[in-house]
Amino acid sequence: MDLIPFKDLLFCATAVVMVAAALLTVLAKNILHSAVALICTFFGTAVLYFLLSAEFIAVAQVMVYIGGVVVFVVFTILLTSRLGERVQEISRSRKIVAFVFSLLVAILAFSFLRELGMVLQEQTEDFATLAAIGKRLLSPDETGFLLPFEAISLLLLISLIGAVSIARIPSDDKNEEAK
Amino acid sequence: MTLQTCLLLAFFLFAIGIYGILTRRNAIGILISMELMLNAANINFIAFAHFRAEDATAGSVFSLFVIAATACEMAIALAIAITVYRRHGHLDVDELRELRDPDV
Repeated sequence: MDLIPFKDLLFCATAVVMVAAALLTVLAKNILHSAVALICTFFGTAVLYFLLSAEFIAVAQVMVYIGGVVVFVVFTILLTSRLGERVQEISRSRKIVAFVFSLLVAILAFSFLRELGMVLQEQTEDFATLAAIGKRLLSPDETGFLLPFEAISLLLLISLIGAVSIARIPSDDKNEEAK
Repeated sequence: MTLQTCLLLAFFLFAIGIYGILTRRNAIGILISMELMLNAANINFIAFAHFRAEDATAGSVFSLFVIAATACEMAIALAIAITVYRRHGHLDVDELRELRDPDV
């Protein structure tokens, strides 16, 4: 197969870009820069999903995360930060503690990976096609996900109403401001 | 590209997200780092669905639910951030200590 080395190469490039963008996301001084780096990370993830033959999830990733969540985040940053605001400095000891802690988590994860042992070959069949996902989401039989699907749509509605009612200025305050 | 390399990448992203959560002082910065960690978890779902699962569709559907739940969580969290900013004029989590016990 001629495609396999190309796939590996693309995976390596995507992984490097994602890790670099993720590092930029947490290290950038300006919070707006880190939001832009987050877009790069999410885009790399979408490419990775394509490589893992989950096309629908890749498109959903671009639409929901990049088109929705990051735009939310950027709007909130623009609403809540003043221009020329001083960056809040982090003490060196706290940085060291954070680094050690994340290193510990990484080591824990790598040890799990060694337990996992064997190298698995990728499946060549039974990929999650769009038609299969659609049928599974709405089929009422045992292997279907109809009930979780309805629950998650209810959750979306509730959280939207909740977000609006949390962020809204209470009417009493508004009257006081008018006075 | 094996399952191991995919998981390795996801673990790296997760560790980077933890570093971000612990070092940010801006509440939105913490939320952004949290997004990184959720993203890493989602990569695990898709990687296992691709390499191991008997039922790859179920893995994809599950990560769809994760994406939807993340969108909900982000909407609520950012609404709370806006309310906090309106009340305090900043989002520095080190300064938000009204609920702290004053005796301690």
